[in-house]
Amino acid sequence: MSTESADSIRTRARSTVDWLVSHVQFVTTDTPALAGFTILVGFVFLGLFGPVIAPYDPIRASVQNAQGTILRLHPPTLRAPFGTTAYGKDVFSQFLAGARPTLIVGLVGGVATGGIGFLVGLVSGYFGGWVDETLMRLTDLTFSLPFMPMALLLLTFIQPNIWIITLIIAAFLWKMPARVIRSEVLSASERTFVKSARASGAGHLRTMFVHVAPNVLPIAFLYTAYGVAWSIAAQASLAFLGFGDPTTTSWGRMLRQVFASGSIRVAWWWVIPPALGIAAVTTSVFLVGRAYEEVINPEIDDQ
Amino acid sequence: MSQFQRFLAKRIAIAAGLTLVAVSVIFFTLRLLPGSPFTQLVASGNLSEQQVNDIMALYGLNQPLLDQYVIYLKNLVTFQFGYSIRQSRPVWEILGPKLFNTLILLVPALVTTAVLSTLLGMYAGWNRGSWLETGSIVTTTFLRSTPVFITALLVIIVFSYNLELFPAFGMREITASPSGFTDTYLSLDFAYHYILPFTVAVLYYSGDFLLLARNGIIEKKGSEFLKLHRAKGLTETEQLMRAGRNSLLPVLTYFALRLGMIFQGLILLEVVFGWPGIGRQLVTSISQQDFPVVQAAVFLMALAVIVMNLVADVMSAYFDPSVSAGGGS
Repeated sequence: MSTESADSIRTRARSTVDWLVSHVQFVTTDTPALAGFTILVGFVFLGLFGPVIAPYDPIRASVQNAQGTILRLHPPTLRAPFGTTAYGKDVFSQFLAGARPTLIVGLVGGVATGGIGFLVGLVSGYFGGWVDETLMRLTDLTFSLPFMPMALLLLTFIQPNIWIITLIIAAFLWKMPARVIRSEVLSASERTFVKSARASGAGHLRTMFVHVAPNVLPIAFLYTAYGVAWSIAAQASLAFLGFGDPTTTSWGRMLRQVFASGSIRVAWWWVIPPALGIAAVTTSVFLVGRAYEEVINPEIDDQ
Repeated sequence: MSQFQRFLAKRIAIAAGLTLVAVSVIFFTLRLLPGSPFTQLVASGNLSEQQVNDIMALYGLNQPLLDQYVIYLKNLVTFQFGYSIRQSRPVWEILGPKLFNTLILLVPALVTTAVLSTLLGMYAGWNRGSWLETGSIVTTTFLRSTPVFITALLVIIVFSYNLELFPAFGMREITASPSGFTDTYLSLDFAYHYILPFTVAVLYYSGDFLLLARNGIIEKKGSEFLKLHRAKGLTETEQLMRAGRNSLLPVLTYFALRLGMIFQGLILLEVVFGWPGIGRQLVTSISQQDFPVVQAAVFLMALAVIVMNLVADVMSAYFDPSVSAGGGS
């Protein structure tokens, strides 16, 4: 490698850039994907700065009118553009603050899901034999243990906080990318350049990570993105059932409060922001993901 | 043994092994986590020590963990799930009707959506690039990626609380106390309560079938056999039907897998609509720490997934000659 000239490094860098561009360009040509991407950018912005720009403290401060009485279950007004909750809190502020835990669980859960799935799939598909058999049976096991019931069970005994919740989610979701990546690795391992890498004396680790892994990276990225959406959905569902982190305001918890308090009958303004927030983010991930899938799946891209 | 038989035997053995491991995981998760099933009962302070010991003995909880495990396994083989702690009734007496309520809601929903969405997906794939394709993809992407309780909440707000067209809660009027099957499930009252949760379930399941069917058609579209059919002078619809028939296997396999997942119910859908199914019962039992019920419910859910997984595997090996039955999974 040390004898490589500057020129070849430059060509390699350029081809990496070309590769990146070709893998990102689809966002601009596919309208749904572009819309989804825009929403995701907005969501990340909310996750980063939401709590800062919230006009009220989402939990402690109550919204009051000019006379100083607390506004409970008040429809949207100037003081509270998204209305208020049954406890007189500002829905708009809760919505802004609730984006952050949603973003954290989504990102960490997604990356963990994609990461574990990538490693398991890579090792399983590359080595085959009993390694493959063991790992795939483990995958089967996590498939057969129902996620939601098991998560609820665990969370009745363990005080939920967002890290525990993220951990449980990743522990159940890695199976999805693992299976897909394994089958991709299987077909990549058959290719000549992988065999020749082995023949020229490259070790298993090197062959696996340098020669096989790049071929399955796009799929791994895709499933990491899906993992983000799944984590967000799972976290919101758990929070809705009352198994969320009780110390933070998340979108799922807002929905639990409006449902459990019975205010859902009247207070549509309390339901719509968190409900559409979650729906918009998960849908956007899949819209972008689907468009990307067509880029990396030549069978569908044929036309 | 033929190759297929060997494949079948291997898959069945794996399924049996998986069931055993899953059952054990469920059992030990419930026992090793802190808090005995009776902690709450004892903590309430109304029981003497003698009474507590009696109850523990009644449920076999005073025996060593390993003995309990063996008894538990023996009972499962004969589908005996023991007694509920909260209701002092056999667990199956509680779970059976709930499971039935779940199935009567979700099986028709799954079948409906499998047929409708597959047809729509095939049509969308055939007309690639049309507004119908884009529209149906965006819509179903929204429906399948949004957590089901959110769709349910939105539907309830619109159709129950604002338009006041359908009831938001339960399977029947609160005052109704029907007796017998016909009264419970074939009444207008039931149908009236059925419509909203049924619709949400249909919408929620639609996305995957639509995409599978669409992708299947797109992959087949350029293939040789279709050129032949076109050359033969078949109409567009006839060609589409033939392409569809050849891309149905993934849809069928997926249907089998989904059918296995149905035993878990759509827990959140049942909670939102107050539907008395197995998922809602599980949530209730977990919060009441009624472990025999929880254990049995989770076991049934796991078993259904394992069995349907087996069916899906065998089906695709049997129908698809390009899947090698000799190779692993």
